[in-house]
Amino acid sequence: MKKTIKFSKAFLPAVIISSILIVSGLAGYFTKGVNLGLDFQAGFIEKVRIAPTALSLSYSGSQSVNVSQSSAGIDLVVTGVSSDNQTFSFPYAQYPTVGDFASAVVSVPGVTVNTEASATTALKAIFPDSSALARLSAEPYRFHYVPEGIAAISSDEIREAISSLPDAAVQVIGSPSDRFFQIRLEDDGTDPEASQNLRVGLNSILGEKWGEENIAIVGTDFVGSRFSSSLASQAFWLVLATLILIWGYCSIRFRWDFAVGGVLAIMHDAIIMVAFIVWTRMPFNSTTIAAILTILGYSINDTVVIFDRIRENMRFHPEMTITEILDLSQTEILGRTIITTATTMLAVLSLFIFTTGDMKDFALALLVGMVSGVYSTIYIASAFISFVSRFRKDRGIETERKKAVKPLVSGEVV
Amino acid sequence: MSKRSRFVLILVVLAVCFAFLWPSIKWYTLTPKEDQALALGSREKIKDYSRNMAVADLRQLIEDARADKQEQVPVKFASLIKEAKKNYKAMKKPVPAVWTPRILLAAFPSESDAMSFVENEYRNRILSIKRTQASAVKLGLDLSGGMSIIIKADLEKAAAAQGDAIGNMATFKAEAMAQVLDTITSRIDKFGLSEPVVRQQGEDRIYIEIPGTADSDRINSLIMGKGMLAFHIVDQEATASFLQYLQAHPTSTFDAEYNILDKSIIPADTQVLGTYKKDAYGIDERTGFLVIKKAIGLEGKHIKSAESRRDDMGRPVVNFILDSEGTGIFGDLTSNNVKESLAIVSDGKIKSHAVINEAIPGGSVQISGFSADEAENIKAVLRTAWLNVPLQLENQQVIGASMGEEAIRQGMWAICGGLAAVFVFMLMYYKGAGINAVVAQVLNFYIMFSVLSALNLTLSLSSIAGMILTIGMAVDANVIVFERIKDELRLKKGRQASIEAGFDHAFWAIMDSNITTFIAAIFLSQLGTGSIKGFAYSLAIGVVSSVFTALVVSKLMFNFNTDVMKNKNVSISWRVK
Repeated sequence: MKKTIKFSKAFLPAVIISSILIVSGLAGYFTKGVNLGLDFQAGFIEKVRIAPTALSLSYSGSQSVNVSQSSAGIDLVVTGVSSDNQTFSFPYAQYPTVGDFASAVVSVPGVTVNTEASATTALKAIFPDSSALARLSAEPYRFHYVPEGIAAISSDEIREAISSLPDAAVQVIGSPSDRFFQIRLEDDGTDPEASQNLRVGLNSILGEKWGEENIAIVGTDFVGSRFSSSLASQAFWLVLATLILIWGYCSIRFRWDFAVGGVLAIMHDAIIMVAFIVWTRMPFNSTTIAAILTILGYSINDTVVIFDRIRENMRFHPEMTITEILDLSQTEILGRTIITTATTMLAVLSLFIFTTGDMKDFALALLVGMVSGVYSTIYIASAFISFVSRFRKDRGIETERKKAVKPLVSGEVV
Repeated sequence: MSKRSRFVLILVVLAVCFAFLWPSIKWYTLTPKEDQALALGSREKIKDYSRNMAVADLRQLIEDARADKQEQVPVKFASLIKEAKKNYKAMKKPVPAVWTPRILLAAFPSESDAMSFVENEYRNRILSIKRTQASAVKLGLDLSGGMSIIIKADLEKAAAAQGDAIGNMATFKAEAMAQVLDTITSRIDKFGLSEPVVRQQGEDRIYIEIPGTADSDRINSLIMGKGMLAFHIVDQEATASFLQYLQAHPTSTFDAEYNILDKSIIPADTQVLGTYKKDAYGIDERTGFLVIKKAIGLEGKHIKSAESRRDDMGRPVVNFILDSEGTGIFGDLTSNNVKESLAIVSDGKIKSHAVINEAIPGGSVQISGFSADEAENIKAVLRTAWLNVPLQLENQQVIGASMGEEAIRQGMWAICGGLAAVFVFMLMYYKGAGINAVVAQVLNFYIMFSVLSALNLTLSLSSIAGMILTIGMAVDANVIVFERIKDELRLKKGRQASIEAGFDHAFWAIMDSNITTFIAAIFLSQLGTGSIKGFAYSLAIGVVSSVFTALVVSKLMFNFNTDVMKNKNVSISWRVK
């Protein structure tokens, strides 16, 4: 038999440490406020690259010609209302340069090409403008590229250019020589056509300064003011409803004090995560809420496994006090707690390493929540049960003892 | 459950999952891109395509028959031959050995019968590809690139503009919303983009999703633009000559957006529009083309009210009343164009047209000559003239295709990295038993994908995140069981007894912990935005499938090693033998 670890001795310090963390989180919330993400704060975000045109395609004819670029190459899919449906594939392996592509693509009937980059530019390096329709028409469909040795553009230059727009924030994505920016404009809710006007306003300024044919929009995101407020209240009720349901299920499966202890533990985790988000100035958006809700589900998983063992031990070890039973159960289950958390953290760590943006933040918030989840399972939930038991007539375990009429088949009684 | 029935259960689950997964495999790997593009096109495009293909095929067949060719017809007529065989048998004639064009045609009562058969064949082929696509896993916008829009319809304002005319507020809102949805759907359809999604969200919001890259300016003006209802005079002469031209050039008259390629075939002051009727499913179906004068005869804003009823003869008619200004314009228009045709045009579609029998000076107009259903539809169209629901764009997201590519790459790496790390860890820590966990994990992914496919859910970066989290959670069930088995082994129990006791004791711990997680996942799935939904669905599916793999699959593997491989020890730890 392994030596029982006396977790219970650290209950008081643990509660004090948690309280300090929670209070500091609240203090941060009130002094610094939350860095609200786009979901909760109306506005417009545009990811844009300032890059010259490499080549442009146009088409005239009765077919519909769709261009798509993938990691393998560029495809032109020609469909129409007659039998000449065909896919023209231009894999990078076969057409490594813009010149190769340009001389081959004219074989597609009706398609004309206008090359502006040097013919030796790598075909892989060109990228389309997402704001253009992928169906070719008389209007040229542009591919852009960043030429070797082109001057870098700093975020200050962009900021200066769009200084006429209110509350603009500019962020460089990647290195400055990539000329890749994220620009955020706020929507104060007064303009009913904000989506249109913010976008057109921003793009016309960028177009004037760097030339319209040099602007490649990678993605845009607009959230109107009414939408964001409905999401906030929805999120609040959702967290509350989840807590109540978990509490309800635990009350049925276990005792009321177990249920309250479990819910306290997961609320603790949620608050620790919020504190983390506040202090790191991580944007608070629907992805962050998803992370918190996930931890609610994940952390209760841990806690329930321990409750299960505590209840079992109450029946097998009638001679022990509640504190001894808590210590014993925690010790027995410690291996499982550590291994499960380690494997889940390995998986989430992989998510953290390989993704960017919102997903990376999501993974980071999950990692913090998981550490807090293990800790709260061992200390917060158990500390609450131990605390309540002091006031119970049965000292917390006698009722369970009576239920243990016949021992279950288990190694522990041998 | 006996071992055999567990084994059968696993086989059944695997087979069912494969059946769910099949459409996705078929669509993504076995369907050529041009067929995909055709199937994703609008129904109008599919109809035109099958029609033109049938016309071309039949024309060739008839020419060959006239030339009296004696050899077998090409392979593409195989299904036509099959149908012809049936006809020959029905006519009690001997089935010929060689199908020459003439013999083949003779099997059908008329050329148009043969043609409609061929047309149906083409259409069914495309529609079956479309069905495959419908039941395949779809990539979310964040992976495929594209545009999503949420529009709020201001029903309060629309109601206020109506004043006291509204009887039942709830009915009014439902009708107004249906009208807005209808208008937006038909405008987007007309644009001919692949597989757009338009659906109502809540009471007054509309969610639109357009996969593939898209032009914000054009889409916005298309969707947000004001509806326009107007009356135009039909140019009958030009219509006749245009239809003749169309018959001669069925494939090269229009470009992809139904704009005329050769502008010189119609007079400069006219334009070509399709005439539409609602089909049995309430979807606009094009019935033909008309050439109308560009000049507006009467703007729809002059219509004050419209109703449908039956006249004295019991025929369905639509009546509408014009305001005083409209009455004057309409009186002049009708008196100048007696015996001409008048078309009701809404959003670039001709909804109805009727001959002006005489001048109508009174401002009360009656149109007739259609079925009761059509009368209802025309009434609904006329209503759009004065029922104006202001729309507000609340949320718009454009994701470039390159961003989607990047997201797919990141997701793949994250899944592979996560899986590899967990596999290595489990194999190192649990030795032989780790293999069970690895197999369970692989099956888990297989089941998750197939259920996603069966439930028609979208695969997005967030659902990939859900899957990655499930990797960790799924291992948990295995860990609980393994730790229990180790406990039993420490008490010097035998292999079989330890495994049985381990699984028995772990059962409720696993159920309780996963049910609570499931509750959280279900609630998560109710939060409005799509990305969280995707995450929650894959988490919920993953929780269920991980319980299955841990309790059924892993146990069967243990039993297999005991019974068939005759193992006496459990390879589960470095310390416990």
